[in-house]
Amino acid sequence: MVTLEKNIKGVKSVLTSEDIIVFEFASLSGKKFASIYADGVADKQLLGELVAKPLKDVKEDDTLEDIKKRLASPEVKDGDKIADAIKEISDGNAVLFVDGEKDFFIIGLKKPPGRTVAEPPTQVAVKGPREGFTEDIKTNLGLVRKRLKSDKLQIKTLRAGKQSDTAVALIFIDGICPDGLAERVQKEIEQKSVDIVPDSSYISQFISKKPKSLFRHNGSCEKPDIFCAKISEGRVGILVDGSPIALTVPYMLIEDFQAVEDYYQVSYRSTILRILRLVSLMVGIFLPAFYVSAQLFKIQLIPYRLLLKISSSVSGLALSPSVEMFLTLFLLEVLIEASIRMPKYVGLAMSVVGALVLGDTAVQAGIISTPAIIIIAFSAISLFTTPDLVETSTTLRWLFLIIGGSLGTFGIVMFTAFLICYLVSEQSYGVPLLAPFAPIIKGDLYDSIVKSNMYALNKRPEAFKAKNKVRIKER
Amino acid sequence: MTKISCRQICFIMLIYTAVSKFIIYPTYLSYYTGRDLLFSALINFAVQGVIVWSVSYLCSRTDKTFFGLLKDTFGNIFARIIFGLFALFFLLATINPLFEQKLYVHDIFYDTVPSLMIFLPVFFFLVYASAKPFLNIGRCADICLPLFLLSMLLILVMSLHEVKFDNFLPVFTQPKKIFSSSLASVFRFIEPAYLLMFMGRFRYKKGDAAKITISYIGGAVFVLVVLAAFYGIYGDVAPTRHFAISKISLFFPAIDLVGRIDLLALYVLEITMLFALVLNIQLAIECIAQCTGYENRAVLSVAVNAVFFLILIFCDNKYNAISTLFSKWMWIVFLIFANLIPLASWFLRKKNEED
Repeated sequence: MVTLEKNIKGVKSVLTSEDIIVFEFASLSGKKFASIYADGVADKQLLGELVAKPLKDVKEDDTLEDIKKRLASPEVKDGDKIADAIKEISDGNAVLFVDGEKDFFIIGLKKPPGRTVAEPPTQVAVKGPREGFTEDIKTNLGLVRKRLKSDKLQIKTLRAGKQSDTAVALIFIDGICPDGLAERVQKEIEQKSVDIVPDSSYISQFISKKPKSLFRHNGSCEKPDIFCAKISEGRVGILVDGSPIALTVPYMLIEDFQAVEDYYQVSYRSTILRILRLVSLMVGIFLPAFYVSAQLFKIQLIPYRLLLKISSSVSGLALSPSVEMFLTLFLLEVLIEASIRMPKYVGLAMSVVGALVLGDTAVQAGIISTPAIIIIAFSAISLFTTPDLVETSTTLRWLFLIIGGSLGTFGIVMFTAFLICYLVSEQSYGVPLLAPFAPIIKGDLYDSIVKSNMYALNKRPEAFKAKNKVRIKER
Repeated sequence: MTKISCRQICFIMLIYTAVSKFIIYPTYLSYYTGRDLLFSALINFAVQGVIVWSVSYLCSRTDKTFFGLLKDTFGNIFARIIFGLFALFFLLATINPLFEQKLYVHDIFYDTVPSLMIFLPVFFFLVYASAKPFLNIGRCADICLPLFLLSMLLILVMSLHEVKFDNFLPVFTQPKKIFSSSLASVFRFIEPAYLLMFMGRFRYKKGDAAKITISYIGGAVFVLVVLAAFYGIYGDVAPTRHFAISKISLFFPAIDLVGRIDLLALYVLEITMLFALVLNIQLAIECIAQCTGYENRAVLSVAVNAVFFLILIFCDNKYNAISTLFSKWMWIVFLIFANLIPLASWFLRKKNEED
């Protein structure tokens, strides 16, 4: 006969940490039980309500089946290996041992500390749903289920991270998602062995064929409505426990120009906004480089009257145009980085010091000119019109500035051609990154830079090779 | 395996046909034929158009590549020799555009003529781009089309109002020179050779030959419009103006207010020009790979571009000599490879037709 003490010892010999609590109790008839759980992750109140309370009437000769029937928890699983018990306890569930029994019950009591569903800071919508993903995968799965009630919705749960044993959920719609895509993603995740997976960005690198690339190869979102819309186009979605950022594959670069509101407002307005985002991105990346190269190599690029203004601003400057722009951009990057890292109260003071005192004094001291500050500020604002591309675009801005300052506009043009050449050959799970432009996919152009009305978008994107291509049809 | 689509071939015919003739060709024609330059260009385009149609129509008769056709007719060794010669041909066809590019870049990107060194980083791009697989050629053309159309639209809108059509009158003053200049310009028309290389690499559908030919005509129209604008604006002084495409939009009145916005269009167009240059090298590498059986494109790309690098370094100031060499002596080579062989390919054994 297996004693309760032996089972407890078996678990405690592995889970030696002090936050692993053993809660021993007995029924009125004297039957002994022990529940083991991780403090802070499992819900103690539920343990009392759903486990300890109902078991008080258990008789001495009741079988395991009888005991299981008395448990009020909706999530009860059987277990017989200590290793399984350890895994479940670590995961936040409780394990219930019964005196004299080798088998045990796993009670779903996981309630990790976390925040409530709120509007995400990166994908704010003036019009449209405001719910955002949280760090809890169960909540996130619930948010997805709430929107996709289809019986075809499939969720595959994997584990990633040797130490963290993080839950990763692959979500797709059977009958729409191309065959084998989910399996490919699953294989990519399972092949990688890493200590911990603190965020979905780790998984993002695992599933990317080119993790060193400057351009990402999977989409991301923080809102369940966008996530569900992407899944229903034939993509595979990935939710990672502990991360509010959901991933989607395959990915096309154009996704980053599509904001959530584009689908909730008049299509003409959406088209204008998308063009605006594209132009802003171009301006943000190229403007500092063009300004420097125009000053150094091709002065004709600047209109005559503007040139006079600029020349009066830059006359007497100690630094060359490229060094000046480099310094200004460096200052901006430092300000952005510091304002993110610093406490809020200090940050406010710092923005005054940085923007007003430092900027104004630098201009008055003749270290940098006013046009340089205007250009860098405009560039910085422009890049934030496509927030998902900010990491890439700020890096590109540096590269273009260096090239523009050393080779002139020809260098900028050449590097642009290089980027085009690079991007046209890039793929994300068989979907070209520059689709639907290279290669041109006519049907998908209706939701690219141009956003057509919903009736024109009656087919799912061809690029994803969805099994069911029809999105809208008359009933 | 299909690696390029008919649509992408059409784009290549439309864009690359045009951009390769925007730099020195208008100046050259205006120097030799004066106001009859359009007729000289028309002759070239008409002849080439017929050959382009002929080769693209041939694609409807066979799904084999040009190499496959040669192999079936004459055997593997002969096919390899021909492809070796085609590799040399494409290398040769790159030299003149490369030198034109260098001069053009120095003119439109810099206020003062810079050192050759500033152009040399182009080889980083060329090595990278030409090492890319065949798939890239078509996709780059997809991207280049809107860039080309946008920039051409802007340049032409800025230039056409200055055109004086009386500069073209009277016509046919030097008919002999029209033909001689057409013959001397043959080295700038190699589009049928491109089509030979694309043969068997795209899935032919009914009407594709017409689409390709129409695209070629579209490219020709762009060149003719630029030629007309160039001579219409400059008239008799046109032969003294180089880099026609950058000179025709100079007199747009709004330039005083908004600056040289035409330069932005030219910079966008330059991207297309760079890809047109890459196309020649990519095809040369493809031919070398077929000829030698050596498949490492990265090594081939480095080797081929190293040759161009050396040529550019050692012949930096020899553009006039090179241009003369091509127009006076090399036209026969281009006539054979870009005209006669494409036409003769109709006589190759098209096995699947007999099957």
